Amino acid sequence: MDLSQYLEIFIDETKEHIQTLNDQVLILEAEPDNIDTVNEIFRAAHSLKGMAGTMGFKRMQRLTHDMENVFSEVRNGKINVNPDIVDVVFKCLDCIEGYLSNIVESGDEGTEDNEDVIKVLNDVLAQSESVGSAPEPEAKQDTKADAAEDKSTSKSDASDEKKKYLQIPIADYEKNAMQDAKDKGMHVYATTVYIQESCLLKAARAFLVFKGLENKGEIIKSVPSVQDIEDEKFDFDFSMFIISEKSLEEIKKVIENVSEIEEAVIEEFEIPSVVEDTTPKEEDVSEKKESKEQKSEKKDDKKAAAKTGKPVVNRSVRVDIEKLDDLMNLVSELIIAKNGLVSVTGAMAGSDQSFNEQIEYLERITTNLHESVMKVRMVPIESVVNRFPRMIRDLSKKLNKEMELIMTGEDTELDRTVIDEIGDPLMHMLRNSADHGLEDTIDRLKLGKPKVGTIRLDAYQDGNNVTIEVSDDGAGIDVEKIKAKAIEKGAITEEQAEFMSDKEAIDLLFMPSFSTAEKITDVSGRGVGLDVVKNKIEGLGGDVEVSTKLGEGTTFIVRLPLTLAIIQALMVDISGEKYALPLNSIVTVEEIPSDEIKYVHTKEVINLRGTVIPIVRLNEVLDLEPVESDSELDDDDSLIVVIVKKGDKQAGLVIDNLLGQQEIVIKPLGKFIRVPKMISGATILGNGEVALIIDSNTLV
Amino acid sequence: MDNNVNNELKQYIILRFDSEQYGIDISYIDNIVRLMPITRVPHTQPYFLGVINLRGVIIPVMSMREKFDLPFKENTGASRILIIKYEGANIGILVDEVKEVVTLKDEDIEKVTSDDVEARAYVTGVGKYNDTLISILNIPALIADIENE
Repeated sequence: MDLSQYLEIFIDETKEHIQTLNDQVLILEAEPDNIDTVNEIFRAAHSLKGMAGTMGFKRMQRLTHDMENVFSEVRNGKINVNPDIVDVVFKCLDCIEGYLSNIVESGDEGTEDNEDVIKVLNDVLAQSESVGSAPEPEAKQDTKADAAEDKSTSKSDASDEKKKYLQIPIADYEKNAMQDAKDKGMHVYATTVYIQESCLLKAARAFLVFKGLENKGEIIKSVPSVQDIEDEKFDFDFSMFIISEKSLEEIKKVIENVSEIEEAVIEEFEIPSVVEDTTPKEEDVSEKKESKEQKSEKKDDKKAAAKTGKPVVNRSVRVDIEKLDDLMNLVSELIIAKNGLVSVTGAMAGSDQSFNEQIEYLERITTNLHESVMKVRMVPIESVVNRFPRMIRDLSKKLNKEMELIMTGEDTELDRTVIDEIGDPLMHMLRNSADHGLEDTIDRLKLGKPKVGTIRLDAYQDGNNVTIEVSDDGAGIDVEKIKAKAIEKGAITEEQAEFMSDKEAIDLLFMPSFSTAEKITDVSGRGVGLDVVKNKIEGLGGDVEVSTKLGEGTTFIVRLPLTLAIIQALMVDISGEKYALPLNSIVTVEEIPSDEIKYVHTKEVINLRGTVIPIVRLNEVLDLEPVESDSELDDDDSLIVVIVKKGDKQAGLVIDNLLGQQEIVIKPLGKFIRVPKMISGATILGNGEVALIIDSNTLV
Repeated sequence: MDNNVNNELKQYIILRFDSEQYGIDISYIDNIVRLMPITRVPHTQPYFLGVINLRGVIIPVMSMREKFDLPFKENTGASRILIIKYEGANIGILVDEVKEVVTLKDEDIEKVTSDDVEARAYVTGVGKYNDTLISILNIPALIADIENE
């Protein structure tokens, strides 16, 4: 059978399962008794094995099979989770990842058998068999006790427990409908239908139940809703209220005639009086909670349930990023066509009103369409950062430092193209924090700091930017040490060092092949890193900043544009050419009298409200002749200066005219032309002309 | 197309510069467009005139005259921009005039044996068509040269 068409899905899903396993095993390491986690792990391992088997990846299947066995034993309480097991499982996950990357590259899993890992896994299993019979009862009893406890509480009233419909709040109008029906001599039944837990097509079975009942009466309410049931957003039971003329037995028979239905608990429903209205509200909340907890509850009740209960998934479609790019291009083209149409209409004198209205309508649609497509391209950074906890754990072992990673804002969204590029720089920074930032555990204790070092990764949206901060509570950066190192390497002279501000000294860290770590470790300190990080982030249109306090820690602040494809820009005229200046780096626009320009070291500066700001004449930078100033205006003696910032540095860019603010689509200039650093791209204006985008960061 | 067969027929687009004629293998040509506004790009290779917007794609345009050190000439109504597609990217070449498309046999094209290496670096051979000589441009060499600069 040709399975190649499924390969992509297999790869995606395997990645997801590996990620789940990594996450859950980390949780398990912290809470070895967490039975939910064990179940989750078992499920993921089981799916991995199944998928690998289907795709014919025998080695991968064998490895996952053994891993699944270990967790099966853990789940049965025969093995206690200990650090050794966690280690071997992580090793195992690495091997699976190895198989996966082979598969991604060549479509084949490779020939590595990973016998050593399999052996360790089997040793763990063998141990459990020999030991498990005698001195392990503690764990067993523990879980059993837990289960028993649950049973005793939750099953206190076994018959009522099954009548889940009793917990459903009934709205007044529903009660009225029921009462009406009863008054007309019809029956109101309440039922909870249980589907066999081995059933694969729950929604289909439920559908058959609904279909059958529709012939017999009217379903006035179901929980979960019919829509959710069709989407399989339910466990193995659902409840409903039926109005029917038929007898209880007949209805029950209809339900139970559908195959794979385990049981239908049904009875004539006693309509609660309308007055009881206050209680259901509270129940409403607890009911919701309960439906969430149902799964876990069940797992305790019946261990077999663990294998099946699927978490509710978002309804989503996987789309190839190239298709999105195509879509995006088409939308951009549509907008350009629309802009063209608008300028043609503008030129037509006295065009009729309904035509103009249609054009405006078109404008609204294209704008909305554009926004929607942009949103589709946004991905939470979670997909990048979720591998970091595992990385920090491994680093912690490797470096023999105790540390924990705290992450916030994983749901912050960025354009897909940025997401793809941001992983490596962030990883570099985290490694840097772990290796250079945090002190050794002994030193920390001596300094009276908490034994466990903290590394934080905080992401949040800030206007049109996304900021990601990587911070540690380590030793901070010793500026003098950096200077000494830079002098030693010949990067700066001693005099330079003396006059260097702390900020400038810290910027030395971003120079190529600069590392302050005294000893080169496996983790970082080969001098590749921060300069690469900086380049990459600047390539994405962002910037990096460092703030540090000696003895208290260091924070790397990365600012990234929300999307690469679209920005707000100020359109300006420089010697008759149009340029776009990204709005996010602009502080203000000022009109400065020419005679306020002063010279410092032959460079032009202005004094703006007490701050001395160097000015850049854009026409010179862009190789343009200055415009002959028109005599009609007294423009001669004043300049329009756009103040831009980069970090806390500012510069004033001299332009000739402001043309207005505009949302622009950024496009690359093509492969073959050499583009100066100050041009970050180009955009297409409404009339089809091309305007270049100036990257003001390179001019500050 | 199999280049080893000498009788292979290939189509060429013929360009005219003053009295000289050049041919470009038609398989490299993506499009031929009329002159449109070109946005200047500062500090780039001197023979690049700038960039144009061709249906939403921004394409750099170079001047054939500048590149080949031919004397400057004003653009006319006959001026065209040839859009070349090479290795998945586009480049535009401004030419004085696009004359016609001709079909040449490989055997009709003589390898260049000129001593003038400089001038002939981008010419793979000279073809004969209706008693006129056509210099066949070597597009890969031309583009490799641009990229290396």
